[in-house]
This record gives sequence, C-alpha cells and structure tokens, in this order.
Amino acid sequence: MRVLVVEDEIKTASLVRHALEAEGFLVSVCPRGDDALTAAVAGTFDGIVLDIMLPGRDGLSLLRELRAQGHATPVLLLSARGKVDERIAGLNAGAADYLPKPFVLAELVARVRALGRRAEAPATELRVADLTLDTIFHRAQRGGKVFDLTAREFRLLEYLMRCSGQICGRMSIIEQVWDYDFDPGTNLVDVYVRRLREKIDDGFEPKLLQTVRGAGYVLKAAP
Amino acid sequence: MTIRTRLTLWFAGVLTVSLLVMSSGTFLEIAEQLRHAHRQSPAARAARETSEMILEAGLPAVVLGLLGGWWLMRRALSPVARLTRAMEQIHERNLAEPLPRSGNGDEIDRLTEVFNSLTVRLDASFQRIHEFTLHASHELKTPLTILRGELETALRDGPADAALKHRLASQLDEIERLAKIVDGLTLLARADAGQVELQMEPVRLDELVRECVADATILAHPQAVAVRLEACAETTVQGDRHRLRQLLLNLADNAVKYNQPGGRIQVSLVQEGAEARLEMTNTGPGLAPALQTRVFERFFRGDTSHNHAVEGCGLGLSIAQWIVRAHRGEIRFVSQPGQLTTVTVRLPVATN
Repeated sequence: MRVLVVEDEIKTASLVRHALEAEGFLVSVCPRGDDALTAAVAGTFDGIVLDIMLPGRDGLSLLRELRAQGHATPVLLLSARGKVDERIAGLNAGAADYLPKPFVLAELVARVRALGRRAEAPATELRVADLTLDTIFHRAQRGGKVFDLTAREFRLLEYLMRCSGQICGRMSIIEQVWDYDFDPGTNLVDVYVRRLREKIDDGFEPKLLQTVRGAGYVLKAAP
Repeated sequence: MTIRTRLTLWFAGVLTVSLLVMSSGTFLEIAEQLRHAHRQSPAARAARETSEMILEAGLPAVVLGLLGGWWLMRRALSPVARLTRAMEQIHERNLAEPLPRSGNGDEIDRLTEVFNSLTVRLDASFQRIHEFTLHASHELKTPLTILRGELETALRDGPADAALKHRLASQLDEIERLAKIVDGLTLLARADAGQVELQMEPVRLDELVRECVADATILAHPQAVAVRLEACAETTVQGDRHRLRQLLLNLADNAVKYNQPGGRIQVSLVQEGAEARLEMTNTGPGLAPALQTRVFERFFRGDTSHNHAVEGCGLGLSIAQWIVRAHRGEIRFVSQPGQLTTVTVRLPVATN
C-alpha cells in the first residue's frame, strides 16, 4: 500500500515514515501543501496522511481541491490545532478519518491500514483462533463455551476481532465502542478490557487479548 | 454641570421655598395680630403670638426643609445607586461591556468613564491569559507527539535490557498523562475563548444516565464500590449529546476516585417543573466547607494530604462546570467531612 505523508514538522514526518515503513507500507513524504497537491494528483497513492497546518497550502483546502478534481484517495487528517471543530470540518471536506495530535504511532498505523479496507463489506462471522463471534445472533463463544457479554463488551470484542492482529489504540476504541468524540480521561477502556479478558481468556490457551504498553490492545492468535 | 453646582442650586431652591412658606405664615400672623390689637395685655399677647408663629410658620418650614434635604440627597446619590447596580452585574465574561454613562460630564460620569477603561484593560489581560493558555496547549502538542513517537519506536524495537524497557514504558505512561492534561486545558481554553460549538439537539438525559451508570458500575468494580440508580425519570433536554456524556462520565469518575473501598454511589434523575435534576452522591471522605467553593477550579486537588494517590488530570470538575453552564444549567457541590458528598446538576428541560 502506497502512502503519501504530508507533514512539515521534520521529526514527526520521519517518525510517521518509519512507523509505516516498519509495517510494510511504501511511504513518500512531502513537507509543503502546494507540492503535496501536485504529488497527490500525479501519483497513485492508496492513502494520504495529511497535516492541517502546512506551508504553501493548508490541509483542508488541499483536501477540498483534491476532491473537486475528482480524486477519491482516502485521507487521514492530523491536527494539533482545533480552533473550529476541525474534526467536523475535515470530515465534511471529504476526509475518511481524523486523528488529533499527540497521537499514538500504533494508532496512526492502524488507521492508515483501515483507510485501505474501507470498501470491503463487513463480515458477520468473525474468528480468531478458536474464538468466534456472530454479529447477527449476537453470540460469542470459545471452545464450546458461550460467553455472557454485555452490549458494550460485545461491541468491544467485535471491534478487537475486526482489527485482529493490529494494535487498537485507546482513542480508536473509545470512538468505535463508546461513540465518544473525546478522551474521557478515565481508565474506562482498561477496566472493560480487563473484564473482557477475564471472560474470553481465563481458562483458555493461548491468551488472545494482549496489552501493548503505551499503545493499546491487540487481539491475535499467535503470541 | 458638576454635582457641586447642581447641589448648590437645588439647595438654594429648597431654602427659597422654605423662606416663602415662612414669610407668608408670618405675614398672615401679623395681619391677624393688628386686627385684634386692642383686646389683650402686651406681654401675654407677645408670648402667644411667638408660639403661634413657631407652630404655624416655623414647623412647616422645618418639615419642608427636611423633605427637601431628603429629596436633594436622593437626587444627588441616584446616579451612584444606578452605578452600583450596574457594577454588581459585572463578571469575568462581560468585562468588555461598558457601563451606561449619563453623558452630563459630572463627577459620576467621569468615574464611570474611568471605570469603563479599567474593565476594558482588565478584559484585555484576561484575553491575553486565555490566548496564552490556548497557544501553550497547542504548542505543547507537537513536542508531545514527537516524544511519544520516539518512545513508542524505542519500545517497539525491543530493548534487550528489561529494566530499560520498564523505564521507557513508565515514561510513556507519564507522557500519556501529560497529553490528557494538555487535552483538558485545550478544551477549557477553547471554551473560554468561545470557540467550542455545541451541537444542540433534543437529548434523552435518562438514557445517557443509564448508560453512565453502567460504565460507572464497571469503573467502580475494582474498588468494590456499589453503584445504584435510585430514580431515572424520562427527561429530554436540549443539549450536545457528546458533552452531556462527558459531563456524566466526569462526575461518575470523580465519585469513584474519591470514594472509599466498599463505598457507595447513588445516582438519581428527576424532573421538577421545567428542570431536570441529577444528583450523584458518594461516600468519600468529604471536603471541608471552606474548600468546597474551590472544587471547580482548575487543578484543584482537595486535601492534598489525603488525595495524592488519586490519578487524573485535575480538570474533570472544571470541564463538568463548563458543560453545565454552556447548557444554561447549574452545578453544585455539597459535602461534609465524614458524611455524604453530593454533586447536583440542574438543567432546563427541552420545550417542544
């Protein structure tokens, strides 16, 4: 997957490049808004990571211009500002996703990967190792044992299973499972994950739900 | 015209009126005396006439003088009273609105002018503080992003030394906390600057409360704190769904954090007339009355000797207060050391 990273802050750009490259993405970096537009129009990128504050041309206007020229490349917006509601402004301008700074790199990688997955229809039956989840019958089971999950726990498990093998950041979990657009500043996610882990991992091997310190959680079959 | 001139003129007027009343009284008295001059002895007549004069002309003149003086003072001081009433309405957020001036150039008008320029200067410095916080919280985000990214990369590369790994992870936790504080500050700074737009719509508050109680139950579980929903009346308010959820979660988080192991949290939502009243009570150690007015201050931590172990960014209740005010509601914190602590939120219900 080819990704264009538009970010003028050199250190941030280099961190993002290395994190994405480590996950097998092909990365081009562009520090200026006007140059980035030329590159985005000319190149064949599968996704664009776009900072809002840029020299040359700001991210939102770049995005609008790109859409006006008929390019549908999915865009993940980054922002440290937040003067007006940039999340809403960004999504209205045609961004697929929005990540406020300071972000967790693993979260950024997970979201860039999700950019490429947008078109796929979601599966109704999910499986990770011997854990299965049926979104139609609202049933989760492992090794013949059906779990008694609350609605929230079910959504959390479904989200982690849909992203299985990838790190899910706390903020993505908060957005996807709780539908909050703010960081609640509590350890709500950690407490829920702990309870979910007690249900799906206690008494089973291997342990599927793992903590990635400082980054989030990952559900995966192989250790 | 200055107040001195005005007062002098009014007083001259009052005195003239009194003098006129007194002289007309005296004139009538003397005329009557001349008609009956022949009847009585001169000494007795003089005594009677004097007392009559005092009674009929002197007393009314004194009363008139008193009333006139009272009216005079009232007139002279009424601009001061108006100014006092106007000044009482001033608070941090309407500093830039000038007090109304009479425009007649007197001492009070001049005072109002000076006071207005003072509040404008004060407003400008408040503005600068707000802008500073706003810029500071934005400027902090880029270095925080880099720091966090560097540490994450270092951890992902997997340092061989377990102790080093532990130290890096601990640094990452602290950066996480710093990021939360910066987030909270940014939100409050933006709110101060009037840059946060609420997405107002009719919201079923009772549904949000049930949802929050479910989350609070999970949050409280590790400390064996029991959460009970005492009442939950169907209530619709005009509000921003996300902000109201943030409010409820902040209050619940606070009730859990400052509780004691094995304690209780009681939540109730009732509708009283045009008001929704939410009460959240916890069995924490409580707070001395002197400190209670300060709980909504930013970074206020209560009795630090008790609470230093409590995690959090110290902005939860400030954010809660902002959300309630932005919904034209009222939030109160009532606590007694050793007794129950109750946070009460009142919000206007939606009108159809």
